[in-house]
Amino acid sequence: MTASETTETATREEPDRPVVELDNVEIVYDRHFLAVQGISMAVDEGDIVALLGPNGAGKSTVLKMISGIGRTERGEVTRGSVVYDGEDVTNDGANEMVDRGVTHILEGRRVFEDLTVEENLRCGLYRGGRRVRFDEDDYRIAFEYFPQLEEILDLKAGYASGGQQQMLVVARALIHRPRLLLLDEPSLGLAPKLVRDIFETLVEINREENITMMIADQNAKRTLETADYGYVMENGQVELHDPADVLVDREEIKEFYLGTSGDSSQYTDIRHYKIRKRWT
Amino acid sequence: MVSAAESATLFQIAVEGVGLGALYALVAMGFALIYKVTGVLNFAQGQIALVGAYLIVLLGTGEAIDWLQVSAPVAVAAAVVVGIVLGILLERVVFRPFIGEPVLSVIIVTLALGGIFSGFVNFLFGQNFKGYPDALVLDWSVGLPLGASIPGSYAIAVLLSLVIVAALMLFFRYTVTGSILRAAASDEQAAMVLGVSIERTIAVAWALSITITTVGGMLLAMSSGGASVSIEDTGIIILAAVVFGGLDSIPGAFVGAIVVGLLRELGSYYFEGGTAIVAPVVDVQLNFGPGFGNILPLILLLVVIVVKPYGLFGTERIERL
Repeated sequence: MTASETTETATREEPDRPVVELDNVEIVYDRHFLAVQGISMAVDEGDIVALLGPNGAGKSTVLKMISGIGRTERGEVTRGSVVYDGEDVTNDGANEMVDRGVTHILEGRRVFEDLTVEENLRCGLYRGGRRVRFDEDDYRIAFEYFPQLEEILDLKAGYASGGQQQMLVVARALIHRPRLLLLDEPSLGLAPKLVRDIFETLVEINREENITMMIADQNAKRTLETADYGYVMENGQVELHDPADVLVDREEIKEFYLGTSGDSSQYTDIRHYKIRKRWT
Repeated sequence: MVSAAESATLFQIAVEGVGLGALYALVAMGFALIYKVTGVLNFAQGQIALVGAYLIVLLGTGEAIDWLQVSAPVAVAAAVVVGIVLGILLERVVFRPFIGEPVLSVIIVTLALGGIFSGFVNFLFGQNFKGYPDALVLDWSVGLPLGASIPGSYAIAVLLSLVIVAALMLFFRYTVTGSILRAAASDEQAAMVLGVSIERTIAVAWALSITITTVGGMLLAMSSGGASVSIEDTGIIILAAVVFGGLDSIPGAFVGAIVVGLLRELGSYYFEGGTAIVAPVVDVQLNFGPGFGNILPLILLLVVIVVKPYGLFGTERIERL
């Protein structure tokens, strides 16, 4: 698939201006390693957009270049553009993107281990290196969706359970009141029930707080059920993209991600297939 | 039996040990602060103390550049300001390009900085002892029970280090900025995506650390009436203190420094001639010089690393299985 074709097919015909739009973006690490080649995406206001694909497909890279944190890992958008809310934000730093209302929840439940749960939440009160507001009210949004956290405020975050840590990182991001929330593998390593809870809460947050989300996750079935639109990436390119309900029914997705028998939803179970070959 | 006179001597030596320890504590806390916030072992710490000590020579006596001379109190205030400015400047010029790079690179950079600082001091002032202005040579001392007394500069150091250790502990525990500094230390990237400015945390940490360290260097010089190049050695001595206290713990650095100060003074006094402590236990005539006080803290360093690698108060990494 050539770059120009991708651009054409990926532009969605929607009346609203997308919150974030990637146009033929190429991302290079360390000046030599081509991680993402010519992808285009558009995320509409209020949508949940799923990014699917195997390890190393470039899902995290895309999220990192939108939030700006990829710059600290020597990542660079070398071609194309990232537009946020009509403004060109290609290669902008993390601080600037946070100020614009983009909050990124990194892969692997990155709580501040030595800090208590309450101190972790406190860190959500910062913008551009400065504290914005600080009163009890700010935590309300966190406790509304994750009431459990209120009971473990004084616990060192490093000692919290995996589920509690995942709640904490989402709650910490919510205190930011972001406009666009980027989530990288929110279900990784969690028990199925916790995964269900987390995704249900994310949908609630999306509807009630009107926070647009991009979710990159290996749990394709659950993510697609949650999402409005989905992109399937492989080898740094977008292979498929469609509204989530259409995508769920596509044969390739059924076979390789959801499993034809219907009970296996983990990509890892079927990794040995050569997906690309079947699609082209 | 220990006679009254002997215990009075012991008390006096201990008091001086605590005083010296308090001086080290200032330098050690500066070191621990940087490690706690940025994960960098600052091998220029002794040289920063050295710069602090010679700043007073530069500003207070007009040595090297005579038109710079100001009165002693102004010189002290100016030296503190220079410390803050130096911290911010170092972040801008030296440390910013290393954000996101392995910490080891920055550690090597501090080695180079140390060389530059001490070279610069040497270039301006040479190797000789430089006396402080009279107003800063403290000839008073505070009387204590049992006939002991503590020299003025030690007394100031004890008070100042107590204030600073308390202030820093409260700062890290209860202020939002303190939480942010700890958060950035624990996970730089996760802090950045929350809008924490890593540049600013690094600048705050270095400015605080260098200010405390330069004051420590100044007081070290005051305790001997003027600046000398030997202040540089403090950088190695406080390593023992911070490792003992746990590298990333500020109260740990304080306690460690007091212990090291005590070890130095007691070691220097009781091992001189090598009889006082050793003779009653083993019937051997050992001839230690007073320099044994310098060895004891480093023996402590080795023992602590083997027995308790995280030190007394250091954070043990939380590993979940």
